[in-house]
Amino acid sequence: MAERADVCIVGSGFGGSITAFRLAELYVAAGTDPRSIVVLERGRRYRHVDFAQSMDIDHLSRVYNLIQGQGAQVVVANAVGGGSNLYLAASLRSPRETFERRDRRPGDGPDRRMWPSAISRDVLDPYYYRAELGLRVRRPTWNQVSKSGGLWAATLNAAGHSCDRVPLAISPERCVNAKWCHTGCVFGAKNSLITNYLAAAERRGVQVRPDMEVESLQQSSARPYRFIVNAQAMDNEGPSPSRQPTGSTVQIECKVCVLASGAMGDAPILMRSQNNLPNLSSELGKHLGVNGDHIAAIEYDEARVRSALGLPGYHEFYKGKPITTMSYDWWVGRSDHAYDGTRFTLQEIFLSSLTNFLYDSGREPGGGPSWWGLQKKQAIARWANRIELLAQVEDTNDGTFYAVPSSGGAQRPNSGPVTIGLFTYPLSDQSIRVREAANEAMRGVAQTHGLGRFMALTEARGAYAAHPLGGCRMADGPDLGVVDPQGAVHGYEGLYCIDGSIIPTSLGVNPSLTIAAVSERCADALVAAGGGLGLPARPAGFRPGIPEEIVGERVVVPVPPDQAAPKRKPKKKPRCRPPKRRSRPARGRTRARKRARVRCRKPARRRRRPPKKGRGRA
Amino acid sequence: MEGGGTRRPGGVGAELTRRGFLKRTSLLGLGAMVASALPVAKLMAAPPPALADVALSDATLQAFADTVIPGRRVAATESSAAIDPAAIAGVDPLPGAVEADALALYHHPEVGFDALEGPFLAELASRSLPHGGDFLRLPFDARVSVVLGGLDFANPTRLLWEAAAAVPFTAFCAAALVPEQTADKAVGYRVMGLPGKAPTGYRDFSYRRALARERTRGGSLS
Repeated sequence: MAERADVCIVGSGFGGSITAFRLAELYVAAGTDPRSIVVLERGRRYRHVDFAQSMDIDHLSRVYNLIQGQGAQVVVANAVGGGSNLYLAASLRSPRETFERRDRRPGDGPDRRMWPSAISRDVLDPYYYRAELGLRVRRPTWNQVSKSGGLWAATLNAAGHSCDRVPLAISPERCVNAKWCHTGCVFGAKNSLITNYLAAAERRGVQVRPDMEVESLQQSSARPYRFIVNAQAMDNEGPSPSRQPTGSTVQIECKVCVLASGAMGDAPILMRSQNNLPNLSSELGKHLGVNGDHIAAIEYDEARVRSALGLPGYHEFYKGKPITTMSYDWWVGRSDHAYDGTRFTLQEIFLSSLTNFLYDSGREPGGGPSWWGLQKKQAIARWANRIELLAQVEDTNDGTFYAVPSSGGAQRPNSGPVTIGLFTYPLSDQSIRVREAANEAMRGVAQTHGLGRFMALTEARGAYAAHPLGGCRMADGPDLGVVDPQGAVHGYEGLYCIDGSIIPTSLGVNPSLTIAAVSERCADALVAAGGGLGLPARPAGFRPGIPEEIVGERVVVPVPPDQAAPKRKPKKKPRCRPPKRRSRPARGRTRARKRARVRCRKPARRRRRPPKKGRGRA
Repeated sequence: MEGGGTRRPGGVGAELTRRGFLKRTSLLGLGAMVASALPVAKLMAAPPPALADVALSDATLQAFADTVIPGRRVAATESSAAIDPAAIAGVDPLPGAVEADALALYHHPEVGFDALEGPFLAELASRSLPHGGDFLRLPFDARVSVVLGGLDFANPTRLLWEAAAAVPFTAFCAAALVPEQTADKAVGYRVMGLPGKAPTGYRDFSYRRALARERTRGGSLS
C-alpha cells in the first residue's frame, strides 16, 4: 500500500526547495505538521564539508551528471540541493525584454509573446526581491571583484564600454576567494539551498529523502489524494556506488505533486506517465533550451595590461570568485521587437581548469591544429593570464525529447556519471547568428590596444549546457505549453512543475535567480490554492518570511600568524572621479594610462550617469 | 521575428559534431565523448593482431597523447609509471600529457576508453602508413599530420579521435588522477600556473578599485 503524504515534491533544486519552504511556512502558520510534505531527491546528501577542491575523477563522479544528447551535452548536479551546490552563484534579474520576446520558431503557434501574458518583469520583481533575500544576494564591492573580473571591466572600459558588478549569492564573510565554487564550496560561503531554503524547510519538519528517483505518476481515485508517485531507491552511497536503482520501490500517494527535477527530469517523468495522464499537452518534451550559453576566452599580454590599462599585471586567473563582472552594452538600446534574437550579455566567468580545451589557441594555425598540438600547449602554459567569457545570447529553444528511458532522465550505461539523453538539440540559424555576433563583439574588445588574443570556441554546431531550460514550458493554454503561469499542469488539478523546465526562453543572464523568482511566484499561488486542494488553508495575515541561514561549521583553515598579511593603515579616501566615457579608441599609451588610473569612484548612488546607448537603464 | 530554418544534424554526423567536444568543460565530458564514440567504434574493423601487443599499444597511446599536448622527454610519469622511450617527441621543453599520466587515464574504468582502444589504434595505424610506418616511429610533424586527418570533419570516425584527444586534456588540465590537487603533485597545474587547491584562499585577489563605468544601480538591468 502506498505511503500517504499531503505534498510530494520531486527534486530539491531551486524549485523544489523554495516550494518546500513556502509550504512549510503555511503548515506552521496553520498549526499543521509539515512532516506531511515529502521531498524526494535522486542524489546523495552532502554537507558543504563533504565537497572538495578537486577535479579528481572520483570527486566529480560523485556530484556531477553529464547527459549526452544529440547536439548538446547537459551538465546537471546530482545531490540534495540540486544545482545550487555547484553553480557559480551569479544572481541576476533577467532584463525586461526577455519577457516580451516574440521570436517564436516557425510552426510554434501564433505570433505572440513567448512568455505567458501574466508574466512580465514588473510582475516578477517582488518575487525576485523575495528570492534575493532568501539566497542572501549581495553585489560585491569593487574591493571584492576578482582580478579576472576587474581585468574584464578595465578591458571593456578601454574599448569604450560599461561593465557592471554581478550580484552574487555568496557570503563575503565566509568566502576566501579560492575560486573553487564549481566543485562545491567547502567553506559554506556559497549560499546554496542546503544553507537556506531547504535547510529551513527541514528545520520546520519537511521530510527530505535522498537517493530516491521518481520514475512515473499515476492518478489516484481516493480523494483528496490525486496522485501516486512511483519511486525507486538509488544505490548512491558507500565507497563504490553503482548509481543505479537498487530495485527497491516506493509509492507515495499525495494530494499535491510538485515536479521539480529540472529540465532534464520533469519531461521524462511526465512522458513515462502519459498512459495514466493522457491529457497532457502535446508540447510536453519540446522547446528545450540552453539559456543561450556561448563560451570564449581571452589570453592577455601582461605587458599590455600594465602599459595600456595601468594595472599591476595579472597571471592570477585562479583567484577570487568565479563570476564578478559583466557588460550589458550589447543588450541595451535594443528594446524593440525588431531586435528580438539579437541581444546578448558578456560575462567574465571561471568554469574550471579543464575548459582549456574549449577554445582554439588564439594563434594563427598556419595549417596546423588550432585547439591541440604545440601552439595549444603554449597557450595552456599561459593559462593564468587568461579570462573566460560567457555570452548569454537570445537563441531559440529547439530541443526535443524523442523518447524516454525506462528510468531516470537519461540512459545509464554503467555506474559512471555519464548518461545518454534521448533528446536532440539542433541550433537554429538565429541561434548561430547571435552567437557569431557575440564572438565578434568579444574579439573586438579583446583586441583593443593589443591587449590579448581572442580564443574562440572551436565549433559552432551543437551546444554545451550548464543551464538547461524548458521541456514543460509555461503558456497561457495547453496548445502552447504544459503548465500555466502558476506552474499548474494544464488539465490536472494538484499537479505542478516548478523549476527550470517551465522557463520558455533563454534569459540573457544566469538563470538561477529567475528560476527562483518564478518558483516563489508559483509557490505563492500554491499556498493560496492550498485550502482547495486539501492542504491547510492560508491563515489570515499569513506573510511569507525569509529562510534562516543554516551553514554549520566553517572549515577554512586559519592562516598562521606569520603568514597573515600585515594590517594596512587606512588609506585616505581617494578623490572620486567617474570614468570618462569615450567614443573612439585611445591613440596612445599615455591617454590609456590616464584613463585607467581614474577608476576610483565608489559608484553606487553617488552619481548616476545616463547610459550610453538607447534607452535609459538604472 | 522568426528565425530561419533549423539545421538538423542526423545519424553519425550528429554524433560527430565537433562541439561534442564541449564536454571538455567538465571531466564528465570525457566520459560522454567516450560513450558517444562507442557506436562508431563498433562499426569499425577489428584491430590487427600486432596491436594486441599491450606494450606497443600503450606506447602508441602515449605518442598520441604527446601529439595532442606535447611535452619534454622524461623516462617516467608523475606517478612513476614507465614511458616508452619513443613516445615523447620532445618538441616542448615543459611537461606534457604523457608525464601527466594520460595513459593511466586511458585505462581508467570510469573513462571507459578501453572499449574504443582497439578500433582507434587500428585507424591510427592505417593512417600512419602513408606517412612512413608506425605512428610511434613517426617524427612529430608526421604525427601531427596523421592526427589532423583523423580529426578532420570529413572523417566519419572523427568522434573516436576526439574521445582519444579528450583524455590527455583531462589528465593534464584537470589532474584527473591526482586526488590531492596541488601544483607540486599535478604537473599540468604547474605548467598552467594553477596552484590547485587553496584551503585558505587568497588575499590579493582583487585590484580593489573601480575599473569601469557601470550601467545599473544594482547589477541587473531594470
